[in-house]
Amino acid sequence: MVTLYRPGNGPWHRLPAGPKTALLLLVVLGVCLLPATWWAAAVMAAVCLACYALPGAGLRELGRQLVTVRWIVGLTLAGQLVFLGPESAAANTARVAVACALAALLALTTPATELLETIERAMQPLALLRIDPQRAALTLSVTLSTLPVLAGLARDVREAQRARGGGRSLRHFAMPFLVMALKHADQLGEALVARGVR
Amino acid sequence: MSGVAPGVAPGTAPGIALQGVHVRLGDTDVLRDVTLSLEARTIAVVGENGSGKSTLARLLSGLVAAGDGTVRVLGLDPVRQAAELRRRVAVIFSNPDAQIVMPTVAEDVAFSLRTEKLPRAEKAERVAAALDRFGLAELADRSSHDLSGGQKQLLALCGAFVRRPDLVVADEPTAYLDARNARRVADHLLADASHRLVLVTHDLRLAQRCETAVLVQDGTVTQVGDPAQVIATYEAGIRW
Ligand SMILES: Nc1ncnc2c1ncn2[C@@H]1O[C@H](COP(=O)(O)OP(=O)(O)OP(=O)(O)O)[C@@H](O)[C@H]1O
Ligand SMILES: [Mg+2]
Repeated sequence: MVTLYRPGNGPWHRLPAGPKTALLLLVVLGVCLLPATWWAAAVMAAVCLACYALPGAGLRELGRQLVTVRWIVGLTLAGQLVFLGPESAAANTARVAVACALAALLALTTPATELLETIERAMQPLALLRIDPQRAALTLSVTLSTLPVLAGLARDVREAQRARGGGRSLRHFAMPFLVMALKHADQLGEALVARGVR
Repeated sequence: MSGVAPGVAPGTAPGIALQGVHVRLGDTDVLRDVTLSLEARTIAVVGENGSGKSTLARLLSGLVAAGDGTVRVLGLDPVRQAAELRRRVAVIFSNPDAQIVMPTVAEDVAFSLRTEKLPRAEKAERVAAALDRFGLAELADRSSHDLSGGQKQLLALCGAFVRRPDLVVADEPTAYLDARNARRVADHLLADASHRLVLVTHDLRLAQRCETAVLVQDGTVTQVGDPAQVIATYEAGIRW
């Protein structure tokens, strides 16, 4: 699920959103450029541990984040093991896991509003393409905060199905879910307009 | 500017005026020939399911346009003066989930101020004061989607009131709430004299607390006046 900001005052929290995003992006980029070897995997893991070891984040949080992305990590690992062998698999999986964990670290230590402003600034060049950066960033943040609602709708539909003795039919799930999701989108759209978004 | 005069004196500032209004959605005439002039500060809207109450509320909030006739809300044309209307009119829906846009409580309230040109510190101050007033201060950093239904609706109110609206349009704001939360939400809506209120509700006791009531029947307004009388007509007209 989407990681959320956790208030705190460790070094990651104190670092302004802009430089923090840039720094973490650089680290992720570095991690991506490392070769697929055992020692590289170890370096990636060490970098990630070091980032989370700072006060305000914590290794327990790292554990929680890795649990959330376990499916992605598991799939990557399985696929790579089959096709590339253990060394590459370890390194590439570490890459993916570290990238996810560092992205989460950003979201965990930056309030959404600040993140939004940073994204807005980063998207300024889009204005040249006639895309309004403010709108683009807003779309992104609204999408993120809509995910829990959609997950809730999906749960409701599944439960209603089970209550009526239905099985796990995708077709019987998809219809009501789509209708509810679209209805939610409609209502959300009106609420956004009512709250001053044009 | 919005909210300059706390305690609007009804009668001096223009309220709501509809003249021969028709609204067509899809291929149904949802509102037909509605003519209304309302100066009361708190207005209840009652009527059966499907009678057109929500459509009336959305019309007043500029979310649907009239196909015919003229609409004036606080003296504004909701379509042609949409931006000004947005600044002065807040809307509350019954489903709190659909009104929350930001991941945490405080940020969701702050979202309402993002288009206002205020210094950062003042925005923060207003957000804090609003959170405090709605009893949400302790939940400021909580995930907004993890709140209970009642808390979410209080958050929606908070997000609406932080903008200091001159008119609040609320469409069944207490529909999903238990008695206590419904009471709290209603008290917030009714107690504050700094804004006008249009309250669509099926809770007739709540409608009684307004100064005026409007009865909507089958797409048109059939009675306006003292809530007790309007409710009596409404109940007498129900064929059980
Ligand atoms: N987007 C739409 N397209 C077509 N018809 C619509 C649309 N929205 C509402 N209607 C119809 O307009 C009529 C009035 O709807 P409205 O939602 O205003 O009723 P209401 O008085 O709020 O009812 P309730 O008490 O159930 O909320 C209904 O018959 C409804 O089916
Ligand atoms: Mg309705």
